[in-house]
Amino acid sequence: MSNQKKRNFQIEAFKHRVVVDPKYADKTWQILERAIHQIYNQDASGLSFEELYRNAYNMVLHKFGEKLYTGFIATMTGHLKEKAKLIEAAQGGAFLEELNKKWNEHNKALEMIRDILMYMDRTYIESTKKPHVHPMGLSLWRDNVVHSVKIHARLLNTLLDLVHRERTGEVIDRGLVRNVTKMFMDLGESVYQDDFEKPFLEASSEFYKVESMEFIESCDCGEYLRRAEKRLTEEIDRVGHYLDAKSEDKITSVVEREMIANHMQRLVHMENSGLVNMLLNDKYEDLGRMYNLFRRVTNGLATVRDVMTSHLREMGKQLVTDPEKSKDPVEFVQRLLDERDKYDRIISTAFGNDKTFQNASNSSFEYFINLNTRSPEFISLFVDDKLRKGLKGIADVDVEVILDKVMMLFRYLQEKDVFEKYYKQHLAKRLLSGKTVSDDAEKSLIVKLKTECGYQFTSKLEGMFTDMKTSEDTMRGFYSSHPELSEGTTLTVQVLTTGSWPTQPAVPCNLPAEVSVLCEKFRSYYLGTHTGRRLSWQTNMGTADIKAVFGKGQKHELNVSTFQMCVLMLFNNSDRLSYKEIEQATEIPAPELKRCLQSLACVKGKNVIKKEPMSKDIGEDDLFVVNDKFTSKFYKVKIGTVVAQKETEPEKQETRQRVEEDRKPQIEAAIVRIMKSRKILDHNNIIAEVTKQLQPRFLANPTEIKKRIESLIERDFLERDNTDRKLYRYLA
Amino acid sequence: MGNSKDRIKFNVGGRIFETTSTTLANAGRDSFFGALFDDDWNLSPPPTKQDHLFFIDRNPDCFAVLLDLLRTGDLNLPATIPERLLHREASFYGLLRHVRTARWGPFDGNRLRLSDSVKGIAPGDGTAVRAGPDGGCCVAHGSVVHVFDWMLEEHCPINLDYQRVNDVGWIDSDNIVLSACEKLGRGDGGMGLFSSSTGDLRYKFQVCHENQVKSYTAGALSFNQDYKIFSSCKGRSNEYGIGVWDQITGKQTDFFYESTGWSLGDADKLQWLNGLNCLLVATLFPRKDNCYISLLDFRDKNMVWSWSDIGSPMAIDEKRVRDAIAMEDSSSICVVNEFEDLGFIDLRMYGGSVRWSSRSRLMKSKMPDEPCYPKLALHEGQLFSSMNDSISVFCGPDWVLTSRLRRSYGGSICDFSIGGDRLFALHSEENVFDVWETPPSPII
Repeated sequence: MSNQKKRNFQIEAFKHRVVVDPKYADKTWQILERAIHQIYNQDASGLSFEELYRNAYNMVLHKFGEKLYTGFIATMTGHLKEKAKLIEAAQGGAFLEELNKKWNEHNKALEMIRDILMYMDRTYIESTKKPHVHPMGLSLWRDNVVHSVKIHARLLNTLLDLVHRERTGEVIDRGLVRNVTKMFMDLGESVYQDDFEKPFLEASSEFYKVESMEFIESCDCGEYLRRAEKRLTEEIDRVGHYLDAKSEDKITSVVEREMIANHMQRLVHMENSGLVNMLLNDKYEDLGRMYNLFRRVTNGLATVRDVMTSHLREMGKQLVTDPEKSKDPVEFVQRLLDERDKYDRIISTAFGNDKTFQNASNSSFEYFINLNTRSPEFISLFVDDKLRKGLKGIADVDVEVILDKVMMLFRYLQEKDVFEKYYKQHLAKRLLSGKTVSDDAEKSLIVKLKTECGYQFTSKLEGMFTDMKTSEDTMRGFYSSHPELSEGTTLTVQVLTTGSWPTQPAVPCNLPAEVSVLCEKFRSYYLGTHTGRRLSWQTNMGTADIKAVFGKGQKHELNVSTFQMCVLMLFNNSDRLSYKEIEQATEIPAPELKRCLQSLACVKGKNVIKKEPMSKDIGEDDLFVVNDKFTSKFYKVKIGTVVAQKETEPEKQETRQRVEEDRKPQIEAAIVRIMKSRKILDHNNIIAEVTKQLQPRFLANPTEIKKRIESLIERDFLERDNTDRKLYRYLA
Repeated sequence: MGNSKDRIKFNVGGRIFETTSTTLANAGRDSFFGALFDDDWNLSPPPTKQDHLFFIDRNPDCFAVLLDLLRTGDLNLPATIPERLLHREASFYGLLRHVRTARWGPFDGNRLRLSDSVKGIAPGDGTAVRAGPDGGCCVAHGSVVHVFDWMLEEHCPINLDYQRVNDVGWIDSDNIVLSACEKLGRGDGGMGLFSSSTGDLRYKFQVCHENQVKSYTAGALSFNQDYKIFSSCKGRSNEYGIGVWDQITGKQTDFFYESTGWSLGDADKLQWLNGLNCLLVATLFPRKDNCYISLLDFRDKNMVWSWSDIGSPMAIDEKRVRDAIAMEDSSSICVVNEFEDLGFIDLRMYGGSVRWSSRSRLMKSKMPDEPCYPKLALHEGQLFSSMNDSISVFCGPDWVLTSRLRRSYGGSICDFSIGGDRLFALHSEENVFDVWETPPSPII
């Protein structure tokens, strides 16, 4: 025996630790290993949990934690490699199902293994900071199954293929795909992103690139947008059904980029179906769709807005510069209002009341309304028309609506003072002829103008209303002090304050005796009650109601102008008068007289006198007789005056000149106001500030401002700086 | 008859126990019993026959104690069972946390009882004791820190190049920060982060001045909820002040340089104030001839409040501030002098003075030979002050003395700390530290 040969004594150091039989650890591990196998083979019913837990505990307690940990990893890796082979073997559609089945099995097994190794999880792993059993199991699955060479690409392709098939209309097993994407998420967000989401987004991008090209070649804009919208909702649905919620933004942005952003210009400008076409044909639904889709991409709305603006400007420019269309002012303004209503409706129904679109529409209107210098006049005429007759039988609320719309147009005007001029003229005519339909509507509009432009703007207009009111009182006073006048010819006088009303040269005429007597009485009454006043008669603005008896004894009441009255009264004394005779008797200026005779003799149905020879125009040698055969089904007959509604060219020039004249003091006042506070200012800044201050009323012309400055320098309000000629100095 | 399916029988080391799954469910998922049952606390797999016995090869006496713990939530340990055995068994079943919860109740300074006393063998005086968040503690002695878990089992001691330890602190139950003196020319010392369970050095914190790494002496420590570590630092040239590091990265993030005529780098005490977002820095007599207390705002590098006794007339009884603690609830700083008189400084006023509340304790006559300077602590509205061999507890808005903790041996208390619902008091003689806990809540 060998130990008998060598009897060397060896004194060993006392070992502190009781040595555990090394075979023990192996044996214990074998038990556990077998158990893990059984668990994976779904044969765990015979296992004793207590025994396994105790064994794992003992291994850790006896410092075999490391062995246990590496053993568990090795065993699990082995099993997962086998599973991977089984999954690889699955053909066609069975592949995903097999993967899902094995994944579920692995999860269940992992749960049980974690329970058995719980003590190791809690103590050994905790103190060595290694990955815990459960996350370790997941990463082993990831590395050995999901990332295995034969599965990795195939899994991805299968998933992408399923998605593609669903996009092309096939029905797929969404539950299965959801389980697999859920597996990716369980393995960690980065696994989901790298192994699925990124390639998925790339494939989607490719798919939609091709599809969008196809669509854009074959569809019109509306149809394209409908399809894009459908695709977008499909993708959002898809995320809800089987992808992670965080993918929603990413996939929608892919669709947005490929379907919309990349084709934005082409879509908007598409011939016969693009944005302009939609606007022209009121395709609210398509416009709304375009807005909602384009809103999702950068610059989308800006593109839509730009095209809308340029179209609107072009269209508006044609509208206001077309001489055909500006023939009838009411029609002209009505068109503008209609356009505005239309764009209002488009913006509110299709563009979600987007502020930027409202601004774009407003600035476009402002742009083209001011292209036509007659816009202020036309708007005033439109109001005149509405307030004369247009508002009859319309409810107060609707009146307000119309007035509000007019105010919108008014706001676009740059030359508000021109509007004021015309408005004053038209209002004066309405008030004096008593043709105002509704005082409330008139006042309401004035209040609106006042809120828009301030007190100054409307003070004269309001003065006109006050005059009307006081005139009524004056007339009452006049008749109560002259009770004898209540019978016979009556006179109604409206006393107008000079300055408040549009001045017109007083055209003298010889009034019939009956009337001039009354006029004298009124003059003495009025000057008796008010001192220091002067009355002058504006016969060109009056009206008269006269009773006339015609040939067969029919009686009519004729509503005529003062001039017409003067003419007709002449026929009380003679049946036949020549033009010259009439002119001499009445002293009405020739153009006025001609117009007045024309309306009495030439208008069909209203021709109370006859002209010889019969013709359209009044000649100097014409003769006039009473038309005994005059008939009318009405008792009251209104003889209109042939009045030019629209201003004639010279009149227009005159108004223009008056406006320019009125602007001068305003510009000067603004310059003085600014200089008073600034003391010293250079030329450019003065121009800028004056323009800004006057903006609410009109757009001041820089050359005019310069002229005003010169004039102020002459009058010693300002002086030029001695060294810098561009600087002005205020002289107190 | 109840639902008999709920009943479960165990054979533990030869003794039969019968219990219910509801009782075992109290053990929680992360335990032996949690693994035994499925998610709905049904046995998995279901037992094949009615009277199935689960065999567990463990100590039946301990199982009885632990089963009662699950039944009642109380821990009743018979004298025959050593604590260590119980802990071992609880560890097997995954019930250690249950045992700890049942051991002592929520902290109340007026209901404390001495539960244990641990004797050390380190020579000389202890420097500091710090309570950990889960009931453990660490004790700094000279150049070594001894770490104890909540079972008062000692783990590996930690040291930083064996340099003298100035302060220690727990970041969480597994991480301890240690601050130590520098060793000239070697770059040793400074500050380090250690694992409390293994004693491994995770990383050392560095101080950079003008992009150069400097060696430094780290003094008092404080932490805040934003994972910042603050320490008073003393270098050799300009690196005097308060350094700030990130707990996660270990990188220096900020440095508050001390201004001339003021002291930050020598501070005895740092305290992070959550509400004010400021750090309290106190340098006190006798480390310096004068006392400096200041509040630092690191966001704009501003000293937002300060107090010092420079120039104040020396009274005959020579009341000097020996410790200070900020009390955010009452916007004041509590200070204490060598006679355990409490004083208060108003934080809302700049340059206020100390309002001493004289509690005529006639300490002057019975000062011990080797006096220990008083220390202050604040815990949930209770103020603690140590003096000589006892700790006083003050309550209420006027800080009335309500309790005094004292034991007969160990000598003066040189430091104490509250945390993990326990109070640890370190004595200067014998190297003893005491553990005070609140008993579990009464039954009714």
